Amino acid sequence: MARYIVRRMLWSVLLLILVSAVVFILFYVFPSADPAQLRAGRQANEDQIQAIRESLGLDHSVLTQFWIYIKGVFTPLDLPGTDAHGPLYFGRSYQSNADVFDVIKADLPATVMLVIGAVVIWLAIAIPVGIISAIKSRSLLDRTTMITTLAFISAPVFWLGLVALYLFAQDVGLIPIFPGIGSYAEADSFAGKVGSMLLPWFVLAAATAAIYARYLRSQMIDVMGEDYIRTARAKGLPEKRVIMKHALRSAITPIVTLLGLDVAVLLAGNAILTETVFNIPGVGAETYNAIKRSDLPMIQGITLFGAFFIVTLNLVVDIAYAYLDPRVRYE
Amino acid sequence: MRTRLRWLLALGAIVALALTVSACGDDSDSGSSSSSSSAGGDFAPPTEAPSDAKQGGDLTVIAASDVDYIDPGAQYYQFSYMVSSATQSNLESYAPADVEEATPLLATDHPTVSDDGKTITYTLRDDVMYSPAPPDGDQSWKPRAATAADVKYAIERSLLPGVPNGYVQTYLAGVEGIDKAVKEAQANPTGGPPDISGITAPDDTTLEIKLTNTTSLGVIGALTLPVSAPIPEEYAKQYDAENPSTYGEHQLSTGPYMIENYTPNKEIALVRNPNWKAGEGDFRPAYLDNITFQEGFADTVSAGKKVLAGSAQVNGDFSAPPSVIKQAATSGEEGQLTVTPSGGNRYIALNTQEPPFDDINIRKAVIAGTNRTDLRNTRGGELVGPVATHFLPPDFPGFEEAGGLEGTGLDFLSNPDGDADVSAEYFKKAGMSSGKCEGSDCEITMVGDDSPPGSDTAEVFKNQLEAMGFTVNFQKVTHDIMYTKFCSVPANAPDVCPNVGWLKDFNDGQSMLDPTFNGQNVVPENNSNWPQLNVPEINKAIDDAALIDNLDERNQAWGDVDTQITEQAPAVPWVWDNQANIASADVAGVINKFNANWDLSFTSLK
Repeated sequence: MARYIVRRMLWSVLLLILVSAVVFILFYVFPSADPAQLRAGRQANEDQIQAIRESLGLDHSVLTQFWIYIKGVFTPLDLPGTDAHGPLYFGRSYQSNADVFDVIKADLPATVMLVIGAVVIWLAIAIPVGIISAIKSRSLLDRTTMITTLAFISAPVFWLGLVALYLFAQDVGLIPIFPGIGSYAEADSFAGKVGSMLLPWFVLAAATAAIYARYLRSQMIDVMGEDYIRTARAKGLPEKRVIMKHALRSAITPIVTLLGLDVAVLLAGNAILTETVFNIPGVGAETYNAIKRSDLPMIQGITLFGAFFIVTLNLVVDIAYAYLDPRVRYE
Repeated sequence: MRTRLRWLLALGAIVALALTVSACGDDSDSGSSSSSSSAGGDFAPPTEAPSDAKQGGDLTVIAASDVDYIDPGAQYYQFSYMVSSATQSNLESYAPADVEEATPLLATDHPTVSDDGKTITYTLRDDVMYSPAPPDGDQSWKPRAATAADVKYAIERSLLPGVPNGYVQTYLAGVEGIDKAVKEAQANPTGGPPDISGITAPDDTTLEIKLTNTTSLGVIGALTLPVSAPIPEEYAKQYDAENPSTYGEHQLSTGPYMIENYTPNKEIALVRNPNWKAGEGDFRPAYLDNITFQEGFADTVSAGKKVLAGSAQVNGDFSAPPSVIKQAATSGEEGQLTVTPSGGNRYIALNTQEPPFDDINIRKAVIAGTNRTDLRNTRGGELVGPVATHFLPPDFPGFEEAGGLEGTGLDFLSNPDGDADVSAEYFKKAGMSSGKCEGSDCEITMVGDDSPPGSDTAEVFKNQLEAMGFTVNFQKVTHDIMYTKFCSVPANAPDVCPNVGWLKDFNDGQSMLDPTFNGQNVVPENNSNWPQLNVPEINKAIDDAALIDNLDERNQAWGDVDTQITEQAPAVPWVWDNQANIASADVAGVINKFNANWDLSFTSLK
């Protein structure tokens, strides 16, 4: 197992370098705004723009820029023209000149809080709904929950977020019961921050809970038809034990895989719409700003962080698999 | 029904008052072009604090994005000026009601200009103290009074590549020694600010600026901007030795407030500057205790509704969207909505250097055939501002001289809804007998915004062009890409740029017309003369106007330049923007007409 983990981690480093290369290529191949012109202002002359280009390191060839970047992130070598050195030096934002790593670190708590809360809610909803729908398959309850979940899956997060705000936010809502837009930044206590997250948690959890519920239902229906479930019932085991110990354990394994990926993707900034709608100062909101301003170092840094989370959580999921499913062994 | 009626009445009142006020002029403003098109009635911008304004309280400014720069030497954006006008003391600055002329602030009076027009002299106050260093600044700093040498340093450091100022090299081009200083700064970006020989500080309160020509009014105008806020060399040089400079993050204040915290894209927190004293020399009353800019409200509709429903909040960098305006107008309390001319314009640039728009008759035909009212509707209709008939905006020097709201009387601009007959006549003059565009040159390219409202404007214009016989290849890109890859790069410029516009730098025609229509300013990148208009007579008229140092003559000259440009039909002017500002019901807001936004040094809580 140890050898397997070490091998996976080495592959992860290679994967992260590849991800960096892809982002660089995307930034330069597809049309994007010129960061130097954006920074220079509308009346800056050619010399001023060139000076900014040089200060941002954009005067180097793409390959050189990429090499400097990789050096900063993965090696302890000094970087030319700066006092900075790696590892974990992701460069400075074109827009604010802030250290990208510092910005992401500052953004992470809000995103982690958003994701953890949402995960708890969507699992708390999805697992019981999925199980009950599977057990009561084709019943009125099953049909009602499945139609409801379909509605939530179909609703885009930004739309759901705005609807939730206009219905329930204390500042702009018709039934003002939850703290509204921008309340996370306004809150100065942990309890206040938790309160400010209630609405975003439900919004972010809604669509995912619906997907998980449907997925779990279908897995459970398949598993409940398996021979070993029939055997368990024939042995006279109580139905509750059959469902919770035998069926659910088997049906939930793919859900764990899905969960690992979803959490990683959300931590990587994919809560962009929820964070933007509710103005939560997290990685997603940072991603939105970076894309808007063609801030390559920030985009690059967030993408790498995302890739890191995905790779790491995949590894965690694979290890968890071995414990959940005794048939799985890694060499 | 009742709500709708209120809304219609409110809308009617705004339009009627806007037209009435603009026609009558505004007695409170002096000068030849004092008329105003400010929306009046309930939505007229308040420019004075109430006589019983309350001292104290905390205000939150709700913003969608961040400032362009926090460094006053580099700031070049209305929203950034909201911060610097509260934290810095420029030589002169615009008080809320100022339209024609700035009010002395760090200076004791308006500057004097020598008889030959080539020396500007400012006399500075000696009682303007710097703030203490901010929490993460150099704590060894001992606050002292600002001096003329500090203003010299502030201007000189703006030439450093690490302080990317976007306007100093343009407007201060006539200052002696600036070219040499620019070269020095570029050769040694971290070697400290270069000396500009034409700027001297003979003593602590005297600043002299020597010019090579008579562009004094342009220089004086540019020095109303934050670049003239004093910066002490002994404190700033450690930060200016970096590229980019980090002085902005550690800046000292000479205004009523100082920056306590700046987190890019998230928050700017202002607290009182303990060393600032209200006095005869400083016109800012500074009622509030704390001002927090809360950023990141990407959805301006919900942000606007939050402001209206909340307490002690105002909008920052966004104009209230139509649905919020409607809510404020129908159910808001008095003073929650104000509508102010922004000092900017929007137009559709026609590439005058390439067929078919190198033919002036085709340009005139297109302008005549354009329904500019429909274009304006894509941004929200009448409340957005008057349909433009030329380029200088309302409430701006030279606007009346260029014909005011009615415009110059040119037939191709006389009907805001478009005139197919006039359009057909001009097509015929261009040799197109059908009265519509004919031939292969009528297959044109257009690059515009990929998201509303810009994309809506472009789509409507595309349809109008097609009705005139054009085949339009329309490429949609983001606003930044549109400028930096296409419209501002002449080599890649399409035939039509439908989403361009310009906002004044300061209240002088030069800042509106020189960068945008002077053929000598067409540059390979970052070009702002989007139609690439290059008419020698107009270039000369612009150069001559920039040298006039008599205010009335200058305004007349810029009005005439505006007329000349409009006659050349380089673009379709379609709206002079208003800025719709909103505030919570408990805010006694004051609008600064120069900045078309809340003046935080005058705003108070009820």
